[in-house]
This record gives sequence, structure tokens and C-alpha cells, in this order.
Amino acid sequence: MQRETRIANIVLGALSALSLLFLSLPLSTPVRSFKAGAGYLFDPLAYHGEAGYQRISGLPARVGQLLRADIENESLRAELRRGEWLSTTVSALSLENERLRRALVLKAPAGRYPAWVHVMERDPIHWYRSLVVDAGSDRGVALNDPVLGPRDGRLVAVGRVVDVRPNMSTVLLLTDELSAAAAYLSSGTLEGLVQGQDGPRLRMNYLNAEAGLSEGDSVYTSPTSATFPPDVLIGRVARVNPRDPFLTFQSVEVTPAADASSLQELMILRAKPLEGEGKPPVYVPPPAPVAPAPVAPVAAPAAAAAPAVAPAAAAVSTTTAPRPRRRKAPAVAPSSAPAPSEAAFEAVDPEEPR
Amino acid sequence: MIGFLRGVLVFFGAMFLQWWWNTHLAYWGAAPQFLLVLTILLAARRGPVLGMLAGFGWGLYLDVARAELFGASALILTLAAYFVGVARRQIDLRALGPLAATTFLFTWGAFVALGLLGLVFTKSFEWSGWIAVAATPFLNVVAATVFALVWDARDDR
Repeated sequence: MQRETRIANIVLGALSALSLLFLSLPLSTPVRSFKAGAGYLFDPLAYHGEAGYQRISGLPARVGQLLRADIENESLRAELRRGEWLSTTVSALSLENERLRRALVLKAPAGRYPAWVHVMERDPIHWYRSLVVDAGSDRGVALNDPVLGPRDGRLVAVGRVVDVRPNMSTVLLLTDELSAAAAYLSSGTLEGLVQGQDGPRLRMNYLNAEAGLSEGDSVYTSPTSATFPPDVLIGRVARVNPRDPFLTFQSVEVTPAADASSLQELMILRAKPLEGEGKPPVYVPPPAPVAPAPVAPVAAPAAAAAPAVAPAAAAVSTTTAPRPRRRKAPAVAPSSAPAPSEAAFEAVDPEEPR
Repeated sequence: MIGFLRGVLVFFGAMFLQWWWNTHLAYWGAAPQFLLVLTILLAARRGPVLGMLAGFGWGLYLDVARAELFGASALILTLAAYFVGVARRQIDLRALGPLAATTFLFTWGAFVALGLLGLVFTKSFEWSGWIAVAATPFLNVVAATVFALVWDARDDR
């Protein structure tokens, strides 16, 4: 106890003397230095303590803000998704509206009852063969009805209906290898048979062997076609095939006017209207410019029964596209090559597997 | 080693507690003087030497924040620890009642000592205000009781 008391007295004396020294000489350099040192040691406590306190004291408010921000973020995300969906829908509707607006100015040939349909399904494996549209017997679609498509303000040949179901129909495209249509060239009014090749191009056969053919000629449906109305654009000549000495006719490659990749709305030309449906609009075609036609014999094997008439007045476009003048085709049938006729095309059973 | 680290932790923790309470929970100058209370408690439980050393350090911390009278708090806390060491020979300061009474008296004594030191060294009585002088002793008693209970609970464990 005595020792502790003695130590306590010594410590008390030392610390008291030090304290009194601080109190007595507050402005002296050693005391100021000591105070600065003590401040250097203790000040961070208050400084960092205050910073930590600010963080901790603001924590509940920040958590609240975070929760509100999270809720708001979720709400905005949902709104953004709705906006994106709405934007996509509006964009699609706008495009469809534009297409339909263009299609509205197109009129069907006289005597036909047009029905606009949407392409509902396409099989990539049969891209150039067929497609499914969203109209069937419920809208009066019948087997072998011709199908046209809008292209640059006019209607062009696409194919024909080969299968009719209650709500949908299958359209056999012209590019299918089993498709064929009687056609003529605009420049020389040469008759031929356009056939599909299961590819992006068509082939037009049975053209007169002596005729001069040129690329860029337009190909129209012939009045002899059993399916299509006359003078419907099929495509343009992309390439003139070299003459085969063993054949009595020439052939050309035709680029279809209807792009198989961009078909969305089509027009089916029905033979009969639905009950309660009005008469089809009467369309008066614009006067057609007369194109000079070279005189050349024409071979039209499948169109042996081709009528020797001028193209029908039922043009299918409201535009002022020149309508070619056609010439009477002699009924000279080739005999050296098998030719699928349009009659054979018409006889294809759509239900029969290929 | 663990005891030393715990002592350092208590030393700085007490200063942090004093700073935090004074800064954010003091009203009209009334706040418990944790450093004085702990100095008394330390001297009562561990002897006057340790109490004086800790009190001197804590006093320096209080003095650093003051513009004048640097060393006054260090001296007051050192003296408080010394006198508690003397008193514990006569009184059982482990009991809560004597500890509370000692704290109460030493708090007023600290106010008076601070005022007198101001009178001596700055020629003006260092007056802390009526509210602080009236309320702080009671707050210190409460703080001393709580600290003592915590200390006892830790010792029992």
C-alpha cells in the first residue's frame, strides 16, 4: 500500500507539474508544440468520427431512398418495356399501313373479286415453293384462284391457290418447279411458257428460235393463261440463254417481279363473291402506248389454244405503265423437248406429296 | 497484450463516446462527463496510478479542443483520480451508492476547480453555466452507475 501511495504521489507530482506548466506557459514553443502534437493525435478521432457519424446517420434515409429508387426503377423499366413494345407495334402498324395504303390504289381486273390477305407462314425449306395465307373458304377463296402481289404501285403475278382450308390457304408460288404460266414478252410479243425452277428465277421456254431477244424485257401473263388474268406482270428478262442447236426454241431467265422474300400482303382474285359482298369495282385502264413490234414467228406449245386477240383491257395497275401490244401467235408446237404445260400445272394435286 | 489492447480501445473509445455525446446529444450544455466518470471508476477499481495516467491523457484530449487553459482538464482529472485513490482507502467505492455519491461530489468539484483555474490563469472564473452545473452531476451519476454495472457484469462473467 505504501509503495502504491508513493508511486501515486510521484505520478501526481509529475502530472500536476506538467499540467501547471501547460497552464502557466500556454504560449511557449514547447507547450504549443505539445498541444499541436496532442491535437495531431486526437483530432482524427473527431474528424473521422464525424464523417462516420454522417454516413451512419444518413443510412436510414439512404436506405429509404434506395428502396424508393429501386421501386421507381422497376416501374420505369416496366414502362420502358411497355414503351418499347408499343414502339415496335406502332412501327409494325405504320409499315403495314403504308403497305396497305399503297395497295389500296391497286385495283383488281374486272370480273374478279379481290381479297387482300396476309402471308401467315412460310417454310424456309420451301421458300420458293409455297406459302400460307390467312384466308380460306371463309372468305370465298377457291382452288386455283390466282394470287397477285403489290410491287411498285402495281399488281404482279405471285402464284395460285392450291389448297383451301376454312381459315387459310396454301399458295403455290410461280417459282415452284411445278408452276407454269403462259406469258408473252413485251418487246416482241413472243409467247412462251414461264416455269419455276425452285429458285429465285424463272425460265421462259418455247420462244421462237429466230427471234431477237434482249435482257430487260418485261414478261406478262398471256390471255391464254387458264389461271391468271392477262397482262399481269410476271417479271423481267434477266438473261438470254445461248441457243441450243438441238432445240427448236429459245429460252430466257426471268427475274420475278414479286420478290419471294418480301411478300406480306397478297391479293387473291376470287371468281365468286361472298354472300352480301358487293360487285367488284369497275376499273377503266389508262390508254396504253403502242410499242413497235418486230415481226417474228412465235412458238407457243402449251398455248395452242391461244386466242388471237389483243391484250385484254383489264390492266392491273393504276399506274401509267406502258401496256405492250401483242401479236397473234401461230400455233406451232415444238416436238423436241418435253414441256410441262400450264394445263399440267393446273392438274397438280396439292394434296399429293412431291 | 490483450489487456493492453483492450485498455487502448477503452481509452480511445471513451474519448469517442465523449465527443459523440457532446456533439450530437448535448442540450443546453448538459451532457454526462464520461471521461471524468471513467477516471473516477478506474481509480476506484484499479487504483489511483492508472486512473491518473488515463485521466491525464483524457484531460489532454479535452484541453486540445479548448482555446485556453490548456492543461486544466488534465490537471483536474489527475487530481480526481488521486483523490478517489485516497478515498477508496476509507470508503468501499465498489458499491454503487458510494460511487454515485463520489461521482456527484467530484463533478461539482471539477466545475469549481475549472473555474478557479480560470480565475488564476486567465483572470476570469471559468463558469460552465447553470444548466450544465445543475444537470451534469446527475447525468454523471447515471453514467457511473451504468459503467459500474457493465464492469461488474464483465468481471462476473
